[in-house]
Amino acid sequence: MFRIFELFLRLSGFFVFLLLEIICFILIVKYNHQQQVIYENSTNLFSAYLQKKSKSFADYMHLTEVNDSLSKENAFLLSELANMPKGAGGGIDSSRLNQLDTTFQVIPARVISNSVNRYHNFIVLDKGSRHGVVPHTGVVTANGVVGIVRRVAPSSSVAMSVLHLQTRISARVRNKGYFGWINWTGKNTRSFKLNDVPKDALVALGDTIETSGYSAIFPEGIMLGTIEKIGLEPGSNYYSLDVKYSTDLSRLSWAYIVKDLRQREKLELLDQVISDDE
Amino acid sequence: MNNIVLANIFRFLGLILLQGLVFKNVGEGWKEFPYLFVIIYPLAIMLLPLRTPRVLTIVLGFVAGLMVDGFYTSPGIHASAAVFMAFCRPFVLKALEPRNGYNVNYSPTAARWGIRWFLQYAAIMLTLYLLFYFSVEAFTFVYLGSILLKTVVSLITSMIFIVIYQVIFNPVD
Repeated sequence: MFRIFELFLRLSGFFVFLLLEIICFILIVKYNHQQQVIYENSTNLFSAYLQKKSKSFADYMHLTEVNDSLSKENAFLLSELANMPKGAGGGIDSSRLNQLDTTFQVIPARVISNSVNRYHNFIVLDKGSRHGVVPHTGVVTANGVVGIVRRVAPSSSVAMSVLHLQTRISARVRNKGYFGWINWTGKNTRSFKLNDVPKDALVALGDTIETSGYSAIFPEGIMLGTIEKIGLEPGSNYYSLDVKYSTDLSRLSWAYIVKDLRQREKLELLDQVISDDE
Repeated sequence: MNNIVLANIFRFLGLILLQGLVFKNVGEGWKEFPYLFVIIYPLAIMLLPLRTPRVLTIVLGFVAGLMVDGFYTSPGIHASAAVFMAFCRPFVLKALEPRNGYNVNYSPTAARWGIRWFLQYAAIMLTLYLLFYFSVEAFTFVYLGSILLKTVVSLITSMIFIVIYQVIFNPVD
């Protein structure tokens, strides 16, 4: 009996090691499959509070760049304003504004935490359910798509970055209509791949890739990137298209959460049709 | 005695905060070259006194890893690597044992055993940590090439910061 106890004591280091590794792996597997649960907790952690503080300092250091991009966005919005329906007097005719397609609501948000150097990157934003954010809404900047909101807490939300090996975004070639989906290659933050474009499509280097709007997450026509390399894989009916992504995700301070107000309606309709078919 | 414990507690917390708030941001700005990471908090485990019980070392590794995971929002990944490194510590120490053995009242620091000995020790421990960390992070060996590249590049940069830490603080225990 004593011998067994002695053996146990001698190997206790190993047992503790095994036990803790098992705990770690349970955590990791859980995190790989249901990021939502973990992230709901981590948005409330003390470290999130510290990161918020450190981020506000970093924001201060980047004020010039942020100002620059904000002014560009302002210019863009002003040009949009110019395209609004005009009344007889030259002002915006608000009676005709109602006829515009107001499917999308835009919520500006600050990026609290962001990473680009892992295989599964996430972005934490400072707007949550209190501001009307719901899961499965798109996150964009003036330059293009950034991610998809996965989990929402009262005053913050976690988005799966496009730099996540499991993120897929429905895409098409601008003005040509060929569609497929785009995903990250995991190499550097700008290298993406466009999949499922058939070989008979007429694509050219430098063609613009944009969102197709089929997924009910992003509005159509948001820039994703440009075609950098066209490859033909033997035995496949599809092109292998390398895409240079338009947004630099490593320098992200502000983003817009785009909420499709008709998302549920669209999805329910789709579900209905699918279940009718079966 | 109490000084050693206090010094270790401060080092433990200080290195974790430094890792989570400062060094986490290094590497996130290198978009074209996502292989460079600076990981220095394992120093807190490496520098624990030699007579620290094995189990305590491993548990402390777990705690440190989980705290850093809090900053990296990657539950379990840093913790598993830190537990692995803490588990390997006695074997690494054994392999590097000087001819006349260790004085168990000391800590494995450069001030006690010489800078050459310490650099060897830190490099081996950090290699173990980084290899385990990047493998678990990828969770597959498909990216073996990039795992090795990340380990080598991060090892070199992290060692530079560890040497700087040594030069600034030069901890005895």
